[in-house]
Amino acid sequence: MSSLPSAPARVPLWRDVRVLRWAFQLVVLAVVLALLYWLYGNYQANVAKSSIPTNLRFLDNPANFTIPGNDLDQSAPVRDAFYQGFLNTLQVAIVGIVFATILGTLVGIARLSQNFILRTIAAAYVEVIRNIPLLLLLTFMNLAVVLQTFPRIEDAWLPLDLFVISNRGIAIPWFTGSALVLLGIVLVGIVAAWIVTKIRNRISDSTGKPAWAGTYGLLVFVVIMVAGWIATGNTFTLPFVDDRATAGGFRLDPSFFALLVTLVVYTSSHIAEIVRGSIMAVPRGQGEAADALALKPSAKMRLIILPQAFRIAMPALGNQYLNLIKNSSLGATISYFELTQIAQITVGNGSPAVPAFTLTLLVYLGISLITSLIVNYFNRRLALVER
Amino acid sequence: MKRNVAFMGALAAMTLVLSACAAEADTTTATTTEETTTTETAAVAGSVLESVKEAGVVRCGTRDALPGFAVLTEAGEHEGFDSDFCKAIAAAVLGDATAVEMVDLETADRFTALQNGSIDVLVRNTTWTASRDGGEAATFMQPTFYDGQGMMVTAGSYESVGDMNGAVVCVAKGTTTEGNAALESSRLGLNWEVRSFDETDLILEAFIAGQCDGWSSDVSQLTGFRSAYPDGAAALVILPEVFSKEPLAPAVLDGDTQWAQVVNWAILATIQAEEFGITSANVDSFLTSEDVSIQRFLGVEIVSDDGSAVLDPGLGLPTDFAYQVVKQVGNYGEIFEAHLAPLGLERGVNSLWTNGGLLYAPPFR
Amino acid sequence: MTWIRRNLFRSVWDGILSIVFGAIAVYVLWTLFEFVFITGRWEIIEVNLLLLLVGRFPEDQLWLVGTSIVALAFWISAASSGSPKSLDSQPSLSARILDSVQRFGLLSALGVLLILLAGGITPLYWGLAIIGGILAGLGLGKTRRSIAARAKIPNLLWHAAIIAVPITFIALTLSLSTLDSWGGFLINFYIAIISIVLSFPLGVLLALGRRSTLPIVRVLATTYIELIRGAPLFVLLLLAGVALEFFVPTELAPGPIFRAVTVFTLFTAAYVAEIVRGGLQSVTQGQTEAGKALGLGTSKITFLITLPQALRNVIPAQIGQFISLFKDTTLAGAALSVLEVLNVGTAITKQDDFLGQGYIYESLAFVGLLFWVGSYVMSRESQRLEKRLGVGQR
Repeated sequence: MSSLPSAPARVPLWRDVRVLRWAFQLVVLAVVLALLYWLYGNYQANVAKSSIPTNLRFLDNPANFTIPGNDLDQSAPVRDAFYQGFLNTLQVAIVGIVFATILGTLVGIARLSQNFILRTIAAAYVEVIRNIPLLLLLTFMNLAVVLQTFPRIEDAWLPLDLFVISNRGIAIPWFTGSALVLLGIVLVGIVAAWIVTKIRNRISDSTGKPAWAGTYGLLVFVVIMVAGWIATGNTFTLPFVDDRATAGGFRLDPSFFALLVTLVVYTSSHIAEIVRGSIMAVPRGQGEAADALALKPSAKMRLIILPQAFRIAMPALGNQYLNLIKNSSLGATISYFELTQIAQITVGNGSPAVPAFTLTLLVYLGISLITSLIVNYFNRRLALVER
Repeated sequence: MKRNVAFMGALAAMTLVLSACAAEADTTTATTTEETTTTETAAVAGSVLESVKEAGVVRCGTRDALPGFAVLTEAGEHEGFDSDFCKAIAAAVLGDATAVEMVDLETADRFTALQNGSIDVLVRNTTWTASRDGGEAATFMQPTFYDGQGMMVTAGSYESVGDMNGAVVCVAKGTTTEGNAALESSRLGLNWEVRSFDETDLILEAFIAGQCDGWSSDVSQLTGFRSAYPDGAAALVILPEVFSKEPLAPAVLDGDTQWAQVVNWAILATIQAEEFGITSANVDSFLTSEDVSIQRFLGVEIVSDDGSAVLDPGLGLPTDFAYQVVKQVGNYGEIFEAHLAPLGLERGVNSLWTNGGLLYAPPFR
Repeated sequence: MTWIRRNLFRSVWDGILSIVFGAIAVYVLWTLFEFVFITGRWEIIEVNLLLLLVGRFPEDQLWLVGTSIVALAFWISAASSGSPKSLDSQPSLSARILDSVQRFGLLSALGVLLILLAGGITPLYWGLAIIGGILAGLGLGKTRRSIAARAKIPNLLWHAAIIAVPITFIALTLSLSTLDSWGGFLINFYIAIISIVLSFPLGVLLALGRRSTLPIVRVLATTYIELIRGAPLFVLLLLAGVALEFFVPTELAPGPIFRAVTVFTLFTAAYVAEIVRGGLQSVTQGQTEAGKALGLGTSKITFLITLPQALRNVIPAQIGQFISLFKDTTLAGAALSVLEVLNVGTAITKQDDFLGQGYIYESLAFVGLLFWVGSYVMSRESQRLEKRLGVGQR
């Protein structure tokens, strides 16, 4: 038996892998820090030369502008204006995400339809929208549709006498009364509907017969909404034209409308592709089992395919939502008062440019972060728990 | 994902810390100076005047499509009121009115272009305000045009600003007109919806389409745009009320007093020339004038009992700069007549002090 | 008949949908046809075609652009026809011609449209020159193939093509005194290609850094990637527009195109990093283990084994990123006032002859057509490439 070879002599320092690893990392860190330091040094030197403030004190200066559709006083501090811009961004983002998902899912399902016309129209929609730049679509919506196609306020379209459409915006019927009361009624309605649904489900479980739990719940919700609304003495208001403005109802800012429609159309074309891919990724056996159970196509889609497809699609959908939020920054080009527009205006009014835009960037980062956290939460909830 | 939260938090904290550190280096107080004493006539090393002389051109920030003030012609030349003052500065500093590089700027970029040194002087119908002096690192010169903010509407829609209750008023982003319009609206209780656009041609489009009830801007700008309106100038009306002071003045970067004085006196030369009655046509005949003040102005040799001398005020300009300005560009009145009178603008407060206006040049001595 | 019944009228509901959507489709198609051929006023495009395509490029140097396009067409066709024919290429000539028409029909149609709009004889000459270049390239490729059948030489034509593209661009850039006179569709292409080329090494480095076991490197790379991916490109461009000169010494004073390229490069690098990281993850562990078994060091394994496979796997995703970068170059016009094609498109509607008459439809339709053809052709080529490379199948 030969003896084991003796332990190797101590590896010299310059060949020791652990040392080399750390040395490399420290070198990289030193290079990056040196680069940042050089950039920061240049920044300080140039800023000192031009005597522009680089702190965040500009947030206290009066804003000197007003925001349409908002009560912001023009002497309010800049930070209030930023806050309003932030709220406007959230507004267009949330509404946009909801509508884009709905439309995208419908188009995605339509692309897989048996109907030739539906399939072709959906395919054409997706292929055309996906290949043109978002800014082009936005410019088209703003300059061509809103400014040129929509009529002047004197000749506004009045479809069904319910809406007022002009190039000053779209007015829709809206409820009167405080939003808090509405919220209260909605909550009461949801609770009552949930209770009724649970009761009906229990009935159907015990008797084995369909008890239409969902329909009952929805019915109860609607009844409570309407009754509660009328009982608290509020109604709807219909918009009408009143000397170059619309009175009554709720007026959608034309820029908001243009931005919303553009974002919805653009994002829905991407979502349609994702939904189509995820529906096709659902194992074939599931669809075949549904057919074996004689489920109607709508039930098959609703109960079997779509839930599984959404689980697959969730990460990609989350990505598209993030894209929508980031794309909302283009609202600045059509004078919709979201965060980027506010930043541009305050910079033009004398706020220092670098801190203002950096602040804007950080806010967008924050919004993106929170959105991806929410999406990841749903992702984990929906994830398949393997055996 | 937790790691990302940590990153974001760290990064946000880092940025705020950096900003806080920068606050210590805050220099919103006095401008840094490279003071030149009045006896020095040479340009100070590293100053704008020296770099301009070295480059052989004056880089003038301007715009390309404001009728009357600065328009880019088919031939690629800039023509207008502001363009002429750019040329006057070049004529004064370099003796050649064509030695000017016109840099077209968007409204949003005009001060950053000045701040980062890509232009030497900004002559772009910019209003002189206190916060711009302080916050934009700009120093404003003798105003070339005392203007006011007005409102333009389609003919027959409104009689006066007070009628415009709840109207949609369109302004340009990042200008004084925005704040003034909001202020005026709240002062008169009119509840305007003020929409701001990136560029004036977007406002024009919105106005033509009927999205705006009124277009608010400097009266001089409105006059220019009205003259170029596709439906004709008669389709628009500029309402009589003027609701703010808008002195339009050239601007230079803070910190170089010599360059500021150079620009200032180049402008003042045009005003003084008009006061003396000197035009580009007759300036040569004034070279032989016996009037000492004119001799001083034009840099002509003044013969006295003690000998002859030429006035050199020590600005860093050639002694005949005023002559070059008037000869190559013209006096204030000529510049006004050539570019603004065709639009229909009256001299008004932009007349000489001898005619009851505000234009008063300090003496050349 | 059965086709109609099966595809359009499967059930009553289906039939109703068919009729309603069919009517809508017919209406839309008719309006489009009317707009394009009957009521459209295309003079605005004809007059401003040069402005739209190349901006304020000095007219006497336009032959440089033409020559570059011909050279690129030559090299690309040489390289692609020089590779050995794939196993599933069609044998019959008619099938091959049909295939070529499918692939390049749109591009050729666009070229013909541009030549027609331009009018005059010079564009026609250039069109013929491009066709000549393509045919010459095909000839070169065929020659190489027939030589290769007898003597084993590697397909250097691909290498030549890959080198020719950057050389052409560099030659173009250096031949002009100022980059800022470029504009139009040319600058969209230019910014996109330069950005993707420059961002590629940075993106690969970031991806490697993110997967690295060295903690500091990983932290730095991840911070950069997450920071950039959370920021809107438009705001980054705005920030670059005002901030870049503060971070570099004033002598460098960058112009708007330089700023645009910088931001696009840094932005795309983060997305390329994510794509490459996905590719690195797709390479099975067995490969690295085999490398270790052969005694290779970590960097050798990465650069010789893992990275080539990863990059090959993600070529379609890379092309997708390039397409979206190409479309995003329009933001440079909005944020930095670069005179790119969309900016020109909106500006020409304000010229004296065309102001206030609603020419925006024609203008945006033309710009949209340019982008659509470019993106569509590129994405279809990417799908073909994906099929050829067998991504996801082996």
